[in-house]
Amino acid sequence: MESKGSSCKAGSLLLLLVSNMLLCKNVASGPICLNGAVSCEKYIKDLFDHAVMQSHYYHVLSTEMFKEFDRRYTQGRELFIKTFNGCHTSSLPTPEDKEQAQQTHSEDLLNLIHSILLSWNDPLYHLVSEVEGMQEAPGAILSRAIEIEDQNRRLIEGMEKIVSQVYPGAKENHVYSVWSGLSSLRMADEEARISAFYNLLHCLRRDSHKIDNFLKILKCRIAYNNNC
Amino acid sequence: MKENVASTIACILLLFLHISLLNGESPPGKPEIVSCLSPEKETFTCWWKLGTDGGLPTNYTVYYKKERENITYECPDYTSGGPNSCYFSKKHTSLWKTYVVWMTATNRLGSSASDPYTVEVIYIVVPHPPMNLTLEVKHPKYRKPYLWIEWQPPTIIDVRSGWLTLQYEIRLKPEKAAEWETHFAGQQTKFQILSLHPGLKYFVQVRCKPDHGNWSQWSPENSIQIPSDFPTDDTTMWIFVAVLSAAVCLITIWAMALKGSSMVTCIFPPVPGPKIKGFDTRLLEKGKSEELLSALGCHDFPPTSDCEDLLVEFLEVDDSEEQQLMPANSKEHPSPGVKPTHLDPDSDSGRGSYDSHSLLSEKCEETQASPHTFHTSGLMEKPETPEANITCPQDFQSIPGEGNIHYFDADESKSSTWPLPQPGQHNPRSPYHSIADMCKLAGGPVGPIATLLDKAGQDALKYSKTMATEEEEEKTVEQEVESFFYPKPKQDTVWLLPQEESPLISVKPLDYVEIHKVNKDGELTLLPKQRENSEQTEMSRAPDSSKEYAKVSRVIDNNILVLMPDPRAQNVALFEESIKESPPSLQQNQSEKDLASFPATSSKCKNQQGGLDYLDPTCFMHSFH
Repeated sequence: MESKGSSCKAGSLLLLLVSNMLLCKNVASGPICLNGAVSCEKYIKDLFDHAVMQSHYYHVLSTEMFKEFDRRYTQGRELFIKTFNGCHTSSLPTPEDKEQAQQTHSEDLLNLIHSILLSWNDPLYHLVSEVEGMQEAPGAILSRAIEIEDQNRRLIEGMEKIVSQVYPGAKENHVYSVWSGLSSLRMADEEARISAFYNLLHCLRRDSHKIDNFLKILKCRIAYNNNC
Repeated sequence: MKENVASTIACILLLFLHISLLNGESPPGKPEIVSCLSPEKETFTCWWKLGTDGGLPTNYTVYYKKERENITYECPDYTSGGPNSCYFSKKHTSLWKTYVVWMTATNRLGSSASDPYTVEVIYIVVPHPPMNLTLEVKHPKYRKPYLWIEWQPPTIIDVRSGWLTLQYEIRLKPEKAAEWETHFAGQQTKFQILSLHPGLKYFVQVRCKPDHGNWSQWSPENSIQIPSDFPTDDTTMWIFVAVLSAAVCLITIWAMALKGSSMVTCIFPPVPGPKIKGFDTRLLEKGKSEELLSALGCHDFPPTSDCEDLLVEFLEVDDSEEQQLMPANSKEHPSPGVKPTHLDPDSDSGRGSYDSHSLLSEKCEETQASPHTFHTSGLMEKPETPEANITCPQDFQSIPGEGNIHYFDADESKSSTWPLPQPGQHNPRSPYHSIADMCKLAGGPVGPIATLLDKAGQDALKYSKTMATEEEEEKTVEQEVESFFYPKPKQDTVWLLPQEESPLISVKPLDYVEIHKVNKDGELTLLPKQRENSEQTEMSRAPDSSKEYAKVSRVIDNNILVLMPDPRAQNVALFEESIKESPPSLQQNQSEKDLASFPATSSKCKNQQGGLDYLDPTCFMHSFH
């Protein structure tokens, strides 16, 4: 009898596990709105559409800012390219191509986007103040810096909304990379300083592209069911 | 020994170099990486350009390094991208990382390296043109036909997963046109063109651009023949409509120009002039406006003359208490309270066209110096009607603001209106009755009065003409009978018909004063009714020049218009004939003065002082000249 009971228990446990596994959401797809509620799906669609619009604009701004800076100060000189040290956000685990991105879980991808955005809060704040302090501070660069700082904040809010809607009850994400390039922005040597700015703007342009790309993947995956 | 070998080798090498130099051989020139592009953001290809090969077979090697890696890789694929290219497959492509690519060219004599080419794949995306461009002229059931353009994104680009987002642009042109017409299509893969020229052949192309990438090349042309029954542009229709409405406007303007005056007349009818029957100018001159007015008993009100045109110009006095002297086309009796109202100089209406008040008073002022008098004061007594205060003015000079003449005060809500005709006497005639009749009714000695009245009436007729009704015209004017309005029977005004002993109420034909017209200032133009006698023919010869006027001194009993002759201006000369008491000089002076001061006169006509109401024919005359 006891064996039967134990086997029953094992069987039920196994059954429970199997059913859990079956109910587990797929990486690539899975209904977010449990009831299939239209308003829920519409809301998620709207959230993603809005976030994508903002991330697209974010990247456009950073591209313009980089190009303006390059035109004014560096002219794409090899010197600056060679001294490129990489970005402070490279420590964050990032897919490197399409396949890797498509294999990353949506939640992880959302958290990654969120982390990148958080990592840029501080540098953008200092970028604005340092650009203001530059001699002949170019208005085009300064205005864009200010606007990018705003965009960063707005995107963080958007991401948090999306996460709360798509993964309600998920653990809050606080992972971000610390930026320590402030000292290099304030260097006395002009070439070193310009180089530091160039680096920063280059990284910003790239990271904004990452954010935009990942959000668009997630949008098509979650809100449009892989059928953009 | 070794030294010998080394030197020998060096010599041989130099010799070879010398020989090769003599042959034109050299180390390869510096190659150059021209560009690297990615068609779908998953792979990329770099193309290079060779320098001189130095005349020797040269090897080219492409190397690259990835960001933050110290490993030097060699190009994985030299062939897939075509000649002089290096193709990086998906496996070898890392996004969000900088690649530094360079190459070397090596031949027997040496090698040379190119400059490093830094590339970041995400920034070098240039897609292929869209595919499967299809054109079709569609004919939907309840809509106009249109050109339907559809295409597909390049196959290798992954749009579905959102890896790339494409935007499209199409362009088209007719076969022989020089310029393309470009349209931005957004992210859709179809487009409609609605307005195309029928019968033409159109060429269409499409291209695409990824988000944050560059435009592709234009796709190969696709052409379509638009059928001849394609609907034309709506602008043709609108041009037609515009031309049509412009033509209609022009015709309307032309018609208005041609018949402008009559149309204006239609819209703004002119102020009717009063037609007063039985007008005695002498009475006016004498200043006994009351009697004069009372004599102008109108037994037929309103006028029903055959001169339909003049009816329009008849006097219409619109009382402030809404009493009407002579409604132009009304055949009804006036209300008992009809009386002349103040002339409103600013009014353009056809009513209230004279201000007996002001005119009378003005007349008083103007004629004070006039020696012409109708000495009818003795003949005409003030009517005893409590209401009517009309008397024929004794003397013009004696017409002060508040002289012996009591003028009808239009402000008073009295019933000094046109007298009602006697029962049985009410014929559809002009309410303007003979002054003689009025005087008759007023009572008093007939003979001398009659004479005077006669003359006055004649004179009045010389420059006044009643509104001719059919019956009025039929009525012959008694030679010695003045035209007065019928007073109310109860009035005691002495109006005498010298040739008639019957009551004045009889509808004997009398002389009438016809009001030619009243201008907008309310001034009456009175003309004498045409007479058979020479006197009157003389007068009537120049009807246009002699716009003779009667001055309405007052209105009695609802239907009696007491007119006074105007001794000034052109009337003066005529007056002289009948009234020899008028000093010509004074008249002339007056006439000159009047003519000279035409505007002043007009205003004077309107001015009212002392509450005297009468019409000043002079004013009218001046206004007409």
